[in-house]
Amino acid sequence: MKSSEKWSTEQRIAALCSVLVLWAVAITGRLVQLQVLQHKELAAKARLQQEHKNPVPAPRGTIFDRFGNPLAVTESVSSVVVDPKHIVNPDLASGLLASLLNLDRNVLLEKIIRAKRLGRRELVVKRRATTQETKNLVDSHLAYVAIRPDTKRVYPNGEIAAHVLGSVFRLKGPEVGAAGVERRLEVVLQGQDGEESVLADVGHHDIDSELRTAARPGTPVTLTIDERLQFVAERELKAGVIAKNAERGSVVVMDPYTGDIYAMANYPTYDPNLPATDPKDHSRINLGAMAPFEPGSVFKVITLTAALETTKFRPETPVATGGGSLKLPGRVVHESHHGYGTITMQQVLEKSSNIGAILIGQQVGRKNLYDYVRRFGMGARTGLPLAENRGLLRPVEQWGSTTLESISMGHEVAVTSAQLARACAVIANGGSLVKPRLVLKRGSVTEPVEPPQRVIRPETAMTMRMMMEGVVLRGTAHNHVKLPGYTAAGKTGTAVIYDPKKKAYTHAYNASFMGFTPVTNPRLVIVVTLNGTHGDGGMGAAAAAPVFQNIALEALRMYDVPKDIPEDYRAKPQPKGQILADLAMPLSKSSVMEEAGTLEKLLAEEPVKIDPDYVPPSGEAGRKPPVLLAGLTPAEPLPATPAAPAQPVIPDFRGMSLRRAVAEATANGLELQVQGSGVARAQIPGPGAPRKSGERIRVVFGK
Amino acid sequence: MLLQKPGLREIDWAMFFVVLIICGLGVLQIFSATHGSVIWEGSWWKQSIYIAAGFFLMWVVSNLDYNSLMQRVYPMYLATVVLLIFVLLAGKRAWGSTRWIALPAGVHLQVSEFGKLVIVLLVARYLTELRGELLDLAGLLKLSGMILVPMALIAKEPDLGTALTYLPILGIGIFLAGLPWRYWASIALIAAVVIPVGYSRLEPYQKGRIVSFLDPERDPKGDGYQLIQSKIAVGAGGPWGKGVTKGSQTQLRFLPVPHTDFIFSAFSEEHGFVGVTFVLSLYFVLLMQVVQNAQMAPDRAGMYICMGIAALILFHILVNVGMVVGRMPVTGIPLPLMSYGGSSIWSTFLMLGLVNSVRVRRFVN
Repeated sequence: MKSSEKWSTEQRIAALCSVLVLWAVAITGRLVQLQVLQHKELAAKARLQQEHKNPVPAPRGTIFDRFGNPLAVTESVSSVVVDPKHIVNPDLASGLLASLLNLDRNVLLEKIIRAKRLGRRELVVKRRATTQETKNLVDSHLAYVAIRPDTKRVYPNGEIAAHVLGSVFRLKGPEVGAAGVERRLEVVLQGQDGEESVLADVGHHDIDSELRTAARPGTPVTLTIDERLQFVAERELKAGVIAKNAERGSVVVMDPYTGDIYAMANYPTYDPNLPATDPKDHSRINLGAMAPFEPGSVFKVITLTAALETTKFRPETPVATGGGSLKLPGRVVHESHHGYGTITMQQVLEKSSNIGAILIGQQVGRKNLYDYVRRFGMGARTGLPLAENRGLLRPVEQWGSTTLESISMGHEVAVTSAQLARACAVIANGGSLVKPRLVLKRGSVTEPVEPPQRVIRPETAMTMRMMMEGVVLRGTAHNHVKLPGYTAAGKTGTAVIYDPKKKAYTHAYNASFMGFTPVTNPRLVIVVTLNGTHGDGGMGAAAAAPVFQNIALEALRMYDVPKDIPEDYRAKPQPKGQILADLAMPLSKSSVMEEAGTLEKLLAEEPVKIDPDYVPPSGEAGRKPPVLLAGLTPAEPLPATPAAPAQPVIPDFRGMSLRRAVAEATANGLELQVQGSGVARAQIPGPGAPRKSGERIRVVFGK
Repeated sequence: MLLQKPGLREIDWAMFFVVLIICGLGVLQIFSATHGSVIWEGSWWKQSIYIAAGFFLMWVVSNLDYNSLMQRVYPMYLATVVLLIFVLLAGKRAWGSTRWIALPAGVHLQVSEFGKLVIVLLVARYLTELRGELLDLAGLLKLSGMILVPMALIAKEPDLGTALTYLPILGIGIFLAGLPWRYWASIALIAAVVIPVGYSRLEPYQKGRIVSFLDPERDPKGDGYQLIQSKIAVGAGGPWGKGVTKGSQTQLRFLPVPHTDFIFSAFSEEHGFVGVTFVLSLYFVLLMQVVQNAQMAPDRAGMYICMGIAALILFHILVNVGMVVGRMPVTGIPLPLMSYGGSSIWSTFLMLGLVNSVRVRRFVN
């Protein structure tokens, strides 16, 4: 080709223009490729980086008490979440966040550094941030902070029914039950999270969101617990434990016919609103269902019932207990204070004679005694929807030479308070073993009452009722249980505590009382156990029976139980000089308690669940003083009766004119349903009843 | 006479309207890309003022006789070099390079932008004064040397992209002047040696840009990020676009600098293939108008000026659009008339003024 110097300028310009056209064609081709051919693919890429899916938290189902008072509710809150990857300077960030959110700076710093190291993309810094805190955070424009809608379980009554309810914790995702009903009914309570797709900009700031699937809230659960009675039980138990300087204690209040658990209290207790920080936190164990102990003399009820059913023993059958000691193979048994000579079987129970119980037990025989202990539900789970210990009852083949005698007085067998309550209900309800019921309703479906299982003849139960009433009227519980206007029956029990570490019995007692009231038509079964009492004052009668009495007094009043004896009826005074003690006597080193397990063992098997993201608030305000067991002043003022704490109640409209009633209702945000005219005479619900949202109050007016 | 009085009707009206539409679309896109932004909110308004001032500058330059300007090109060249040195010594630093001279009233002048104009005039003057029919070696070296000085200074800022824009002016000049084939061959040979050497002396970020344009997925969060995001934005726009302020790549700030260097990408997302084709044809018309003016120029100087300007604008569009669609490395070269920025707008309008200055004098001979 000839050189270009021959080209004219025009030609050169034309050549350049053709280059321009070529380029235009090329770029158009590329645009067609990108915008037409690859459009879908690239648009999908854009969506992928701009949109992300966030869960919409579903609230857990509310837990109510049997009267509809909320025990555990779920609040919608704002959670503060940080992306540890985007935190360049953890030191600076933790300082800033700690001051904005009122958190402990050092703990936060540690968490951020650990989350960074683990490469986590999300760390929850604070749940339930206040509006002000949220606003401050948003204003500070921190690129690594996001505020998420979240849910938070709140227990409005604090410690009330803590062990029954349990608590929640979270590892990842929604809150899950850590213990108690929260854990056992997880499937019911847990809702199903929804999903929203969120449009976020390049700095991970959410711009816009769209709900894809709505969250399905969890099913509410109504418990058989009566919040008021639960409060009383906890208050009285605490007072009892502190007064007797015991280590711990538990109370179970049960309906003998339906098995409804009205109250289940333990001390020490805890506030489930506060996250667990110690995996070995004793106060979080539901002692009533989880902690087995050797029951001691309360077990004599079972021995004697077995005798009534299987032998010719009647209440009036004489039993020669002799001078206070009985020789057994390799061992001499003593009464706790002195011998009783020949007494009736009824008196064996009333005076809690160890020798009497052993002699009767020997008549019953191993097989029958084992059978009856089983019939009373021992060695088996009661079926509560809670973590439960089945206690320990060895099969007959494993019994030692004196096991029969031991079990006759409540040793070499380990039971829980819940099991005792169920056993006591057998006597109270006329001979049927009921399954304790803790859940009354799931959603609006009432939990069926399982058909009770008849385990003893009704007449045996009647006889035993009468015999147990004798314990209160004349026996060990005499003077310790006084219910003006009501009859009561029960059995005291005291057993020395075995120390598995020292492999020896200590001088501390398990003091218990199981009883029911009123005797003829029992309304309540109450079992009280105090563990770790000392001395005569720490025995079942002196330590546990008064707690029974105090709870029973309040409960009978609350449920308006008709009185069955004159209020001024007084039991015959005790013969002078007679000392009644109910201390059972261990016959051998207790391998039962070694096997049944200590609290430490329980906690080692199942440690308290700890929320790993929890950052404690800064300052003294957030720190809860440790629960003191010993050294607490017994004079600590106890709160007054059913102070349903800070719960809005329905005002008393009675006596008001129509106009005033309406004004009062409006001021309280209530709606009235007016009936009649004149002055308000009656109202439904009554004054002082807890307020529920959207409820209309019916007020009847009359002249 | 430096100032003549050409009739207003002599201006290239077709070019005027095309420029007006392109600038209008640019302002619209700047508004869309910056609304809601803390720093850049209101840029569209500033850009409108720059454009208005640009039209005024264009009119003023149209009135100037390009021949008189060419007479003064050497002092202008010297002044440019001095100012570029001044920029290096005392310029305003931003985004890692020193490109601006701070003037009072908050105006920052980018000397290299205006230098383009001087180079256009310089090349035109030099080539018209050639004695022979073709450029000889000495002449070529001399001219190249004169252009390399400001280029080196600009590259030192560092602003390699703008420095490279000076090359097409030279290239088109010598192509039009006519260069023997052996020179072209030797230029190619020198380039073959210089480019690898030059590449090895580039800053790491510059190397990264070149490598990433060839394979953006190699480092999608780093060097390849801008190209990938730009491609996604263009593709997401589809045939019809998402509409003004509806482009999510732009609005969610995945696209970097959507009002300056990547304005074409943002425009593609919001106006789609249809909108992009429309704008590209406007640029095509604009370039053809400039070329037509070159062909109608009264003298060789006018032709060189117009063609130099055409080459310069084409180079900008080529590199910028090429970058946006992933066919060129990221260089930081703005899209003329659309990208936000006073210096770029004004230098473009000054050049278009020069084209008009040539045009209104087309009947002189």
